[in-house]
Amino acid sequence: MISGGLASLVGVVVLVLFVGLVILYAVLGRRWPTVFRPIAGYEALGRAIERAVESGERVHLSLGTGTVTGAESAPALAGLTVLGRVAAATTMSDRPAVVTTADGAMMILAQDTLRSAYHRVGASDQYQATSARMLGPTPYSYVAGLPTLLSTEGVSVHMLIGSFGAEGALAADFGERQQKFVLAGTDDIQTQALLYVTAENALIGEEVFAGGAYLNVGSLHPASLRAQDAVRLLIIVVILIGTLVRTIMGLL
Amino acid sequence: MRLRLSFLWAAVASVVGLVILLGFLLRIPQIDSLGQMLISLAVLLAAAALLLGLLNLLSAHWNKVSLQERGWPYSAILILALLVTFGLGVLFGPDYEVMLLLFNHVQLPVEASLMALLAVSLTVAGFRLLARKRDALSLIFLVVAVVVLLGATPWVIAGDSPRSVPFDYARNWLTQVWAAGGSRGILLGVALGAIATGLRVLVGSDRPFGD
Repeated sequence: MISGGLASLVGVVVLVLFVGLVILYAVLGRRWPTVFRPIAGYEALGRAIERAVESGERVHLSLGTGTVTGAESAPALAGLTVLGRVAAATTMSDRPAVVTTADGAMMILAQDTLRSAYHRVGASDQYQATSARMLGPTPYSYVAGLPTLLSTEGVSVHMLIGSFGAEGALAADFGERQQKFVLAGTDDIQTQALLYVTAENALIGEEVFAGGAYLNVGSLHPASLRAQDAVRLLIIVVILIGTLVRTIMGLL
Repeated sequence: MRLRLSFLWAAVASVVGLVILLGFLLRIPQIDSLGQMLISLAVLLAAAALLLGLLNLLSAHWNKVSLQERGWPYSAILILALLVTFGLGVLFGPDYEVMLLLFNHVQLPVEASLMALLAVSLTVAGFRLLARKRDALSLIFLVVAVVVLLGATPWVIAGDSPRSVPFDYARNWLTQVWAAGGSRGILLGVALGAIATGLRVLVGSDRPFGD
């Protein structure tokens, strides 16, 4: 067991290392661009959005059932990054993207993201406050509102990028049953297993956080992916050394 | 002017995030108490945002009803239910008999039914997975799911039946060795992804609060 003080120190060191690596890779990235491994979900997403825009259908993004103030806000923040990109890409369509949440504060963030995205591409008139809405304040009341939204608002792309519990499987299944393009990812491991079964394109592990890098949002996104890989490698080495030392100590 | 404002919002978000992070990591009482105060303020704002969320929901469904869009009767029912429960809650409080009745006999059964639906949906999705992705990974996934399910089902493991021993052993081996190891690896990736996302917000690269 390590003491609280040492744990805090380790936390600060890892954080400083992480920031340093992100800056380093952001600078290096100009000369040596990041090479991404293919993620089928993100590759298919671009084509699905193009089809939706051409056929005048809607893109729906669910930011999950987590709250802004909770520890589960990180995947929804990643979802908002994807939203900015997707909203800008769908401005050619007659029907703007629609975003749903189970939290009022998250809904306000989604509205701001939509407004900014439309403003950036000079389509501020397309912004509607009701394009981002809170479907229900509890996980299951939120999920209960999804089938009607998917069937009545002409949605053809159904993305789930946020924090979900078991209800996430139902949210993905509703999309699959209505034969929408479904891309789903979350931070909860058990829900990821459920999404692997229910969603056509499931994002596993940290793939849910990689949307910004794959959709080319900014230079810090690929840099932070490379920093993640470097820190992960470091942690694996530390774990292996710890296991080795412990085994040897046990043998002696 | 708009550009300056966007920098101001980014700076406020970064400073607030940094104060809370430092309070969490350094455990300095002054920074910690400032962080707690900021979190309390955020919780208050989130509660007010819930009301805004309800108003937004009402507005979206009101538009649907007034324009008689597809599925407008559902929206009308939603508006009616929302106004009735909201009015009753504000007037008589959440412990009012009718409120409890609505909660226990409408909301609770509906949510429980959805939970039950999940079991059926997952079974169907399991079969659909085999039709959709006919690869080794999907097959392994389904076989493991069936073995773990059989090992956890009371009719197989109950009693001292010798039939239960291999399933019990297989379930423990799969969950405690393979699943635990794999999930720790995934958890590591998720934690690093969450840190990276938080840091990007902290340095103002990602601005979920708009430009």
